[in-house]
Amino acid sequence: MKLERSKDWYERRIALEGNAEIGAGMPPHCRANAAEAANVKPLETRIAFGTFVELWRRNHGWDAVRLAKEAGLNTEEILEIERNPQSEPEPSAVYNLARLFKLPSQVLLELAGLIEPRTPYLRDAAVRFAARSESMASLNQNEREAFEAFVSAISEIPQRR
Amino acid sequence: MQESRVYLKEMATGQLVEASLLDEITDRHLAMWIDTWQPVMEERCRGRKPGDRPEDHHWDWKLKADGWRPLLGYHSFAITCNGELQGLMLACDFKSARIPAQFGKPIVHVEFLATAPWNRPEFQTPKRYSGAGTVMVAAAVELSWQLGYRGRIGLHSLGDAEEFYRDKCGMTELGNDAAYQGLMYYEMTEKKAEYFRQTH
Repeated sequence: MKLERSKDWYERRIALEGNAEIGAGMPPHCRANAAEAANVKPLETRIAFGTFVELWRRNHGWDAVRLAKEAGLNTEEILEIERNPQSEPEPSAVYNLARLFKLPSQVLLELAGLIEPRTPYLRDAAVRFAARSESMASLNQNEREAFEAFVSAISEIPQRR
Repeated sequence: MQESRVYLKEMATGQLVEASLLDEITDRHLAMWIDTWQPVMEERCRGRKPGDRPEDHHWDWKLKADGWRPLLGYHSFAITCNGELQGLMLACDFKSARIPAQFGKPIVHVEFLATAPWNRPEFQTPKRYSGAGTVMVAAAVELSWQLGYRGRIGLHSLGDAEEFYRDKCGMTELGNDAAYQGLMYYEMTEKKAEYFRQTH
């Protein structure tokens, strides 16, 4: 495709643009409003998401710094995800973690409260998982079983586009 | 793949400078994005809360390119000037108009449009070059024209650009779009597109 305009055209048109910031597309900021509009309450699943990230990390013997490095994130983001369910994680951070964990990104996005709930039993599974998991120095048998059962459950959820 | 000579305004001198518009985002552009654009964006985001970060900071153009390249109906554009990447755009040609007068007719929809960080007042004032947004809108209108859509385009504006699309480009504001997470949707009619394309 060839775009042919006179230099005068650019002079006139660019004067209208001035110092404005121009962009179009889908920013992350709008998600909160959309979730609110859809009456989505992501807190319960986000607690499970944070717990899951923490247990995955501990199960691998990693600290938050190592996980952040491996996932290409800031350590602060990891700690925020693990410890503050009120804080909305970035979609890119969730994608990175999904890639690292080798899990479906859509399910993790749903757990993180970034997309509308689509999987009816995911919320219940997440709440059960969060309830069974307590923060301890190392995973006990119960935690390990809960963790592995949850990995298995979300791995088997069919991905939707 | 075609290259067009376009112009941007160098804000420091107030002079128009030659730039290049390519109707395809190539690997070279993606490498430029990775080497120059992305680090500035990451630096900007460091230590900032999500709401204080640039609206498009999470856009991974490499990932997007891998996704759209095998698909029909997608068109990508890149602007370079003085050896630097100045803007990127991805558009598609299979969406339909919503304005009653042209309802249901095909439009070119701008999926993603971003200018380089140094061309945004959020990063530096004045921005290095002005005009990348104008060139991209012109490219979308031209693509629409060449597809037989008579210049009809649509887009969902990022917050800071609404005035530009509405008041400077003459696009019609059609309200917040729930399907696009509440973003304001704009459409350009055939008549406005004709006016926009006029050369002087």
